[in-house]
Amino acid sequence: MQQVLEDFYKVVRASGVKISPSDSIETSRSVTLVGYQNRSILKHALTVSLAKSLDDQHLIDECFEQFFKFDAFQQPSANDVNYGGGADDLTGDSENNPEQAQQDSEPYQSDTPLTNMLLERDHNALAVEMQRAAQEVGLRDIWFFTQKSLYTQRIMQKMGLRDLQNEIRALSDGSGNCPSNVAQAGQLRDAKAWLFEEVKDFVEQQLGMYGKTSAKNLREQHLQKTKLSNIEKRDFHTMHDLVRKMAKRLSSMYSKKKKRENRGQLDFRKTLRSNVAYDGILFETYWKSRYIDKPKVLVLCDISGSVQAYSRFLLLFLYSLNDVLNRIDSYVFTGNLISVDEIFAHYPVEEAIDKIIDDHGMGGSDYGTMLLDLERQCMDTIDNKTTVLILGDARNNNLAPRSEVLELAYQRAKRIIWLNPEPENFWKTGDSVMLNYRPYCHLAKTCNTLDHLERLLDELLKAATATV
Amino acid sequence: MPTRTHCMKDLYQETFSSIEDIKAHFEAANYICSDQIATCVYIAYNLQKPVMVEGPAGVGKTELAKTTAEILGVPLVRLQCYEGLDEAKALYEWKYAKQLLYTQLLKDKLGELLEGSNNFTDSMEKIHDQEDLFFSENFLEPRPLYKALHQEHGCVLLIDEVDKSDHEFEAFLLEVLSDFQVSIPELGTIKAKIKPLVFLTSNNSREMSDALKRRCLHLYVPYPEEKLESRILSARVPELSDTLRREVVSFVQQIRELDLKKVPSISETIDWAKTLLLLHASELNSATVKQTLNVLLKFETDIEATGDHLRGFIEKAHQKSKINIGSKAG
Repeated sequence: MQQVLEDFYKVVRASGVKISPSDSIETSRSVTLVGYQNRSILKHALTVSLAKSLDDQHLIDECFEQFFKFDAFQQPSANDVNYGGGADDLTGDSENNPEQAQQDSEPYQSDTPLTNMLLERDHNALAVEMQRAAQEVGLRDIWFFTQKSLYTQRIMQKMGLRDLQNEIRALSDGSGNCPSNVAQAGQLRDAKAWLFEEVKDFVEQQLGMYGKTSAKNLREQHLQKTKLSNIEKRDFHTMHDLVRKMAKRLSSMYSKKKKRENRGQLDFRKTLRSNVAYDGILFETYWKSRYIDKPKVLVLCDISGSVQAYSRFLLLFLYSLNDVLNRIDSYVFTGNLISVDEIFAHYPVEEAIDKIIDDHGMGGSDYGTMLLDLERQCMDTIDNKTTVLILGDARNNNLAPRSEVLELAYQRAKRIIWLNPEPENFWKTGDSVMLNYRPYCHLAKTCNTLDHLERLLDELLKAATATV
Repeated sequence: MPTRTHCMKDLYQETFSSIEDIKAHFEAANYICSDQIATCVYIAYNLQKPVMVEGPAGVGKTELAKTTAEILGVPLVRLQCYEGLDEAKALYEWKYAKQLLYTQLLKDKLGELLEGSNNFTDSMEKIHDQEDLFFSENFLEPRPLYKALHQEHGCVLLIDEVDKSDHEFEAFLLEVLSDFQVSIPELGTIKAKIKPLVFLTSNNSREMSDALKRRCLHLYVPYPEEKLESRILSARVPELSDTLRREVVSFVQQIRELDLKKVPSISETIDWAKTLLLLHASELNSATVKQTLNVLLKFETDIEATGDHLRGFIEKAHQKSKINIGSKAG
């Protein structure tokens, strides 16, 4: 049974639940304790031992149902009725009157076990045989859908396909024109086709379990490195999951650094106050500690056509980071600055972003107007704790850049970070005014994939938590 | 030869001999538990693994630990976690005042002891010859974890709302939960006399570390299904009539489907049932529900949000109750 459990762990791992070797040892002990007699108790034992969260629990439940389904060969297929009784099957009589059919003809006897199993319709034996063959050919190592036919063939071979084929050939060629042999050969051919379908289904099902994440991981890796503007709408859902995953990683990294104690600096007031009871003898000492402020972020996103896709993911990323950010004030612009905090408060983030882009995302960008608006609306809120994050390509359509406003913000803010989707050597081409803005940014970088975004936000949080 | 740490299983083999047994014991103690909870307790008890119980507030996480202690007849040691909880409050503290008092009292004795010594080295050696009295168990103020390790007959240790504690404390718990021992610098390593049965509860206000999760069995207690909730209610509020009980359960189940700030859990259902009983209600009607809804829902916005649905919910609850009676009679 250990092998079965190990296969189950493999399936659970493939579904994305982390299982360490010690987890699997502990779980095996739990299973030994409760036994295999009761299906639901076995399921509970596996769930409580393997799961680490509610999501894990759902995944494990799903895997359990799939893994312990045992429904191979249980559904009679269309071909199923066409073989198995004897020659009289062809007339259809045996379906209505199987007992008479049995008496009328002597059942065909074969030397190959597979043929006998098929003729006797011994579904259980076939299922066991298929499981054994699957184990021998290592079906649990299946990764990609392209391997489906390979494994189907291998399993069929292991089950004795060659012998079956030889037998069919012998029956149809060998014994002249004996009608019963020809009919038998026909039945076996049908049975073979049916078996093939069943094995294929089984392999597909196993691929669904064992190869679940490999394809997904490959896709996610690819998406992480793809330019955000090239991502198609159908991948948005995957991207959102990915962003959340990355944001969670960053959050858990930085949420721990909230409090730092400065050992070596005695907090005299607190120490003296609490030691009055001990006659002023310093039994309990207190050290100065300092809380590190969470960063306050002001985001300005260009949502003109060329930059839309980037803004979408930047906003999504930032709002997934709300654990570690104290406050996010978001504005979008093509020309005038528009506050979007209200929309974010009322709609879920994904929906909010769609709505913003639909409502405001038209026309060419005008960075000068945006900066003037910034001066008017937000300059007072920018202080030495604020990080200003600007996302845009700085393509100003040959209008005035107004970089003096950015200079003012640069003097007030803690950091100004400019994320530009264009590569750096494009910054000096055409109507780009990036070079005018660059001197007033603490950091100006190209950012056009999720990987870039993660790295930049990582830097933002690092700077925010380290320098206090 | 090192002494073996006994576990609860060695002492209370009879009580929890099978999963069915556990369910029966819990039911006798008025705690109706699902198969999953019983299986989890059975494994925890036999393999001496802590249980991390998660789920929304009020579904009986803390109650599970309390009932387990009650059934086993052992004390329940409870450690309530909060931000800033540290070893001194969780494990032990020195009784500073007592130490101070004793040093004052023993001052004269110290003079006598040091009589005849000519130099510092001599005096020091004389003091060292005495046992380290001030840092012995006499001056130790035991806190919950220390108490749990020191119980002669074992205990159930409940570490409540562990998600509220700091990361440092979580790391400290790792040693306690994996080896059931703690290190006190002045006294050395202290091992559990009997390994306690540990329950940790969490409301998921923050993600716990993988290291801690790995050491525990994970049990998620969801809101109970209708049938289970009805059984729980009949165990907890037996005076409630069948009709009213069915109506209450059906009503609460419907309310849980709404998008609320705080969905009522089983403890609120019980409170509400008790309230209705107190008001001598024989069935649900709009007036009574409106009067008592604040027992079930804790936010004004939630009460407002249910306003439009109340009539429909009550009608459905009536129907359900009638169908049940019909099917029973049939």
